[in-house]
Amino acid sequence: MAATTTGDGGGATTVEFEHVSKRYPGTRAGEGAAVDDLSLTIPAGRIAVLVGPSGCGKTTSLKMVNRLIEPTSGRILLDGADAAQRDVTELRRGIGYVIQQTGLFPHQTIGENVATVPSLLGWTKERQRERAEELLALVGLAPATYRDRYPSQLSGGERQRVGVARALAADPPIMLMDEPFGAVDPIVRDRLQNEFLRLQEDLAKTIIFVTHDIDEAIKMGDLVAVLQVGGKLAQFGPPAEILAAPASDFVARFVGADRGLKRLSLSRVRELTLMPAVTVRIGEAGEAVRARIEADAFHSALLVDDARRPIGWVRPAAVVGDGPVSEAMAESMSPLLDPRTTLKDALSMLLDADVQAGIAVDQGGAVLGLVTADMIAERMRGPDALAAPGDRA
Amino acid sequence: MREGDPLVDWAWIVEHLDDIAFRTVQHLSLAGIAVAVGFAIAFALSLWAVREPRIRGPLTAVAGGLYTIPSLALFAALIPITGLSVLTVEIPLVLYTQQILVRNIVAGFDGVPSDVLEAADGMGYGRRERLWRVELPLAVPLIVTGIRLGAVTTIGLVMIATLLGDSFGGLGLFIKEGIQTFFATKVYVGAVLSVALAVLVDVLLVRVERRLTPWAAGRVSDDVSPMPAGVPAGA
Repeated sequence: MAATTTGDGGGATTVEFEHVSKRYPGTRAGEGAAVDDLSLTIPAGRIAVLVGPSGCGKTTSLKMVNRLIEPTSGRILLDGADAAQRDVTELRRGIGYVIQQTGLFPHQTIGENVATVPSLLGWTKERQRERAEELLALVGLAPATYRDRYPSQLSGGERQRVGVARALAADPPIMLMDEPFGAVDPIVRDRLQNEFLRLQEDLAKTIIFVTHDIDEAIKMGDLVAVLQVGGKLAQFGPPAEILAAPASDFVARFVGADRGLKRLSLSRVRELTLMPAVTVRIGEAGEAVRARIEADAFHSALLVDDARRPIGWVRPAAVVGDGPVSEAMAESMSPLLDPRTTLKDALSMLLDADVQAGIAVDQGGAVLGLVTADMIAERMRGPDALAAPGDRA
Repeated sequence: MREGDPLVDWAWIVEHLDDIAFRTVQHLSLAGIAVAVGFAIAFALSLWAVREPRIRGPLTAVAGGLYTIPSLALFAALIPITGLSVLTVEIPLVLYTQQILVRNIVAGFDGVPSDVLEAADGMGYGRRERLWRVELPLAVPLIVTGIRLGAVTTIGLVMIATLLGDSFGGLGLFIKEGIQTFFATKVYVGAVLSVALAVLVDVLLVRVERRLTPWAAGRVSDDVSPMPAGVPAGA
C-alpha cells in the first residue's frame, strides 16, 4: 500500500461516546448489559482500538456508531452531531466498514465490490471505475489483474485488502474495522497491519478498530480502550500508559504478565541515548590502538572501514607489536540495529548473540553507537518510559 | 401387443408426425404454464416467509401437505368446479410445484452468507436494494435448482391429465392409447419423447443458471439438491 488518495469527502471526524449503554430486552437495569455507560472521545484522525475478551461489548460498541445496533441510552456524537438524528443509510454511506469475514459480494467482480458505495451514491460508471482502480492500486493490488476477478478467486489476504479498499471508496472520514485482519495467517496479518499503518499516515481517518488480541491493539492503536465483560470501560489511554500503569487487576491480567516486554515493542532504538563506540580503522598503528582499547570499558574496539561500516571487534591481545591493524584481527561481530528497530527486537537479538553490545547503524551502514541490554532495561525504568509519540505523557 | 408386430412401427410414426408435434407442444405448454404460474406464486410466498419467519413453518407445512394429495383425488374434486377445462389440469400441477419451489427459494435466501448481509447493511443498502441487488443474485443457484426439479416433475405429471379425456393429455395420450389398443409404438413414442423433453428442459435451465451466475464458475449447483425429484403420491 503506498501513495496518496484523492476523493471528495476526506478529512476526519471526532467520535464521542456519551454515556452509551446497550441492554437487550429481558435483562434488568444494572445487570447483563452488553455495553454499560461507555464514555470516551476519539480525536479526529486517530486510531482507537477497542479490546477485551469476548462478551465485553467491543463489537456492539462499534456497531452503534453506524447504527447497525441502536443504543438503549446515551448518544454518539460525530463532530458534535448526534448520529441518531442522521438518516441511517446516509450515515452508513459516510462511514467505512470492514469486517473479519470481509463480506465481499461473491456475485460481483472486485471492481464492482470496491465501487459499492460510489454506486449507491449514484456516481457515473466511469467515475466508479476510476475510483475502484485507484483504490486497488492503493492497497497493493494491480487493477488490471484484479479488477475483473471474483472474490472466490482471491486469497484471504487479498480479500482483506479488497475489504479495506471498498471501505475507503467514498473517502469516508470515519472507518469502523471489526477484527479486519483476524482471518488471515500471522505473517499476512503482520504485513497487512504494517501496510495499513503506513496508509493511515496519509489518510489520517478516524478509525475505530476492534480486536481481542492485545498485541494487535498495542501495535495499531494511538489509543486503546480496554473493555471488560459486562461492557464496562476498564481503561482508556495510549498503549504505553496501559502497559506501564494498568488501572485495575483486570487490565493487568488482560495485558498479560509480560506487559513489561510488550512495552519494549513501543519504543525504538532511535529513542535510546547510544553509547559511543571506540573505533579503529584498518591500517592504524598497533601500539596506539592497543592503548585505546585497554582504556575502554569493554576492552574491545570496533574495527570499521573507510565509510565507518563495522567489520568486527578487536581485542588488545590480537594486536601484536606496532604493525598496522588488519581485517584479520577482528574476532566476533555484533548484531546490527536499525534506528527503527523496536527495543523488543533489539533485546531479542542481543540475547541471541554472544556479545554484550549491539551496533546501531544508519541507513548507509555507518556506526552510530552501541546498544546494551542494560541500556534497554534502564530506558524502560526511566522517567520518560510513559511517553508515547505525540500523546499525553 | 400383437404377436409378429415389429417393435417400432416406423411407418406409423412418419404418418403421424403432425400429431406427435402437436401433442409434444401441448405437453410442453401445459408444463410450462404450470411452472411459470407456480414460480410466481412460490416466489411471492417465499419472500413473505423470508421477511416474516413466523409464517415459514405453516407455509412449508401447507406446501408439503398439498404434495401428498393424490392427483386422482384432486382432479376428481376439481371437476365439479372447473369442469373438463384447462384449469382442472393446471390447478393441481401448480399446487404440486409449490413444495419444491418454496423450499428451494427459501433455502436460496437463507443461504446468503450473514457476513455479506452485514456488510451490505453497514455500507448503507436500503432494504429493497439489498433484496434485489445482493440477496436475489446470490439465491439464484438454489432457485434455479428448484425450477429444474419442478419442471422435470411437472413434465412427468402432465401425463396424468389423460384421465380427463383426450383434450389435455399431451404425450400421455399416446401411452394411454397404446396400452388400450396393444400398439407398442405409441407407448414408446409417448415415453421416449416425454423423457427427452424433461432432459432437454433440465439442460437448458442449467445453461440459464450458468449465464446468470458467472461468479460461481467451477462450482455448479448440481451438487446442491436439497430434495430429490419425485412424483406425488397417487400419481
